[in-house]
Amino acid sequence: MDAVEKANADRQKRWAKDQKIGEGTYAVVYRGRELATGRKVAIKKIKVGQFKDGLDMSAIREVKYLRELKHQNVIELLDVFSSKKNLNLVLEFLDTDLELVIRDRSLVFLPADIKSWMAMTFRGLEFCHRNFILHRDLKPNNLLIAANGHLKLADFGLARDFADPGYKMTCQVITRWYRPPELLFGCRYYSTAVDIWSVGCIFAELMLRIPYLPGESDMDQLKTIFRALGTPTEEDWPGHTKLPDYVPVGQFQKTPFRDLFSAASPECLNLLSKCLIYEPRRRISAREALYHPYFTSHPHPTHPSKLPKPADKTSATLPLEELDGNAEPNGNGPGVKANPPNKLKRKLSSDELSGGGRSIARKLDFTQQRQTVQ
Amino acid sequence: MAAGQPSHANAEASSSKHSIYEASTQYRHWRFSPEQLVDTRASLNAAAVSVIRDAFEADEARSSTTVSFLDANEESLLVKLYVGKVSQLCGHFRFPEEVEATAMSYLKRFYLKNTVMDWHPKNVMLTALFLATKTTNNPIPVDTYASHIPKTQPSDVLDLEFLVAQSLGFDFAVWHAHRALWGMSLDIQVLPELTREEVHRVYQIALNHVRASRLTDAELIFTPAQIALACLSLASPHLAVSWTRLKLAEDADMLLSAIQPIKDMVVAHGSSPDVEAVRDVDRRLKLCKNPEKVMGSRAYMKKQQEAERRADEKRKRKAAEVRRAMEEGDPFGSELARDGAMDDDDDDD
Repeated sequence: MDAVEKANADRQKRWAKDQKIGEGTYAVVYRGRELATGRKVAIKKIKVGQFKDGLDMSAIREVKYLRELKHQNVIELLDVFSSKKNLNLVLEFLDTDLELVIRDRSLVFLPADIKSWMAMTFRGLEFCHRNFILHRDLKPNNLLIAANGHLKLADFGLARDFADPGYKMTCQVITRWYRPPELLFGCRYYSTAVDIWSVGCIFAELMLRIPYLPGESDMDQLKTIFRALGTPTEEDWPGHTKLPDYVPVGQFQKTPFRDLFSAASPECLNLLSKCLIYEPRRRISAREALYHPYFTSHPHPTHPSKLPKPADKTSATLPLEELDGNAEPNGNGPGVKANPPNKLKRKLSSDELSGGGRSIARKLDFTQQRQTVQ
Repeated sequence: MAAGQPSHANAEASSSKHSIYEASTQYRHWRFSPEQLVDTRASLNAAAVSVIRDAFEADEARSSTTVSFLDANEESLLVKLYVGKVSQLCGHFRFPEEVEATAMSYLKRFYLKNTVMDWHPKNVMLTALFLATKTTNNPIPVDTYASHIPKTQPSDVLDLEFLVAQSLGFDFAVWHAHRALWGMSLDIQVLPELTREEVHRVYQIALNHVRASRLTDAELIFTPAQIALACLSLASPHLAVSWTRLKLAEDADMLLSAIQPIKDMVVAHGSSPDVEAVRDVDRRLKLCKNPEKVMGSRAYMKKQQEAERRADEKRKRKAAEVRRAMEEGDPFGSELARDGAMDDDDDDD
């Protein structure tokens, strides 16, 4: 046996797959453990043979970035090995995700809980940005939560390094409800600010317990944003009318945050508003956000171990959520009673099923890259 | 952990522990001393020769006595030739410099884990480059890629992809000296004594030295910034000093003396190898390559058959287990992963 094969076989022997917990278009996920320690892990087996162009881009991105990123608020890639023509990613096992937490209507959030989740999100994101990496798919179900309550950024299948000035990037990234207006206007040069917008949307969702800006199409997404935040003026966002896909979508007045988020503190609304500034260059950075008074004012953030989380019984099937967006572990399962009053149910929304959602964004992403990046 | 208490100190803590570069896989897995490099290659070569000798013997007794195997230096020479060929190919495709530099790093790293007597660099090079287009986010369809390369099928490229990725330990991210040099060129623009044209001229010369450095082991020994500074110093010793003083007042001299070995290395080894010498190596390689890797050879067939036999055995064993479980009345088999080993991998492909 070659040395390389042998090293691979040795690595493979460290892990055991226990149970298949889900299957998506591009991966099968197993619950497993480290044999030496019994530590629980998730093993994501990526089927390689079926791709015409060899190793698939989202697998490559995920491996590339997770190999480099080690941080308490980023999911840890413990090992990579191959078995026959499959690529196996050994990931730390995480119990649940923020979407399931938000949807679980039996859970009550305190302002301090939201502050804790936000702090961990910003900390993980700051680390990515400090490493010159854009996540490009932040949303509640990509924020996973460990048994000890720690929140971790996951799913780096759409991530990329910062482009050099003058190099185009695709604007077909980020799940629609969390996508910033510059991408909806077709902007091909963008920055860390795109991730910050997504965090702003998540921040609002934590307070509202329903998605803050649930557009039904890309066009409707802009309208939804403007209805909530007011149509931007040239002063708010210089030059936005010159963006490639700019279309006027009507004049709307901003709904004051105070009306919608009546219980929030002034610092809280100040940080939220800075995440949702139209002009990307004025939007707050992850690093600045960590220094924002919101995090140092009372109440102090809840300790992660004390954060609300869904009841235990669901945990066996949850990692699917992170590991493959196409997987439907147990249908309505834990979310049934959590259907938001406005009937917006993310999993079964037209967004996910008929093609506006993440899987499509990913598909588009590849073709776009090919046409544009070179 | 203090995750619930964001504080300035905490945000600082993770950054002060390590520089970003020190946390990279490049720093952690692909950094050697010159001695380690020599040792690694020598022991890899010795192990390969011994394995291949056995393969020859197994095929036909005493057939290995007449074979003259390549030594580690000869292997390196051949690899170097193909590292250089990556540039030509990239010029043809008009790939960005990052693709080229990454593919070259991959090729060098690959041969710290493999021998040319198993895998010829002319094949590995094509796969390393194709993989680099993807890992640097410049993907092109494999059909297009292969159609631009004479006598190459998509399968030639893809068949080795897994082996290459595995040999790289799936460490796809590479930090490059040309990026560091670009940063330095931006820095030196603020120096008062320089015109724009002067900066540009020096940068171009230094960049050519960086490109030459890719034919050496520099990136396996030094950091990208060290290599960039050495190349800047080759282009303009005076500017390298100014830049260093600008950046670190006290330690400037230490750093400047530390880059001398890199300058020597780039000057001594930064050009393509003598083609005649390589041709001789390549000629001998035809005779000493691992017969088990030569498709269609007797040794290859034998190895394939052995692999098939083992797979067949495993299938039978599994079937027997299922049967036994059925008889015992549990249609789902006995408890999962009893022996813990993960050999049940074909359950769903």
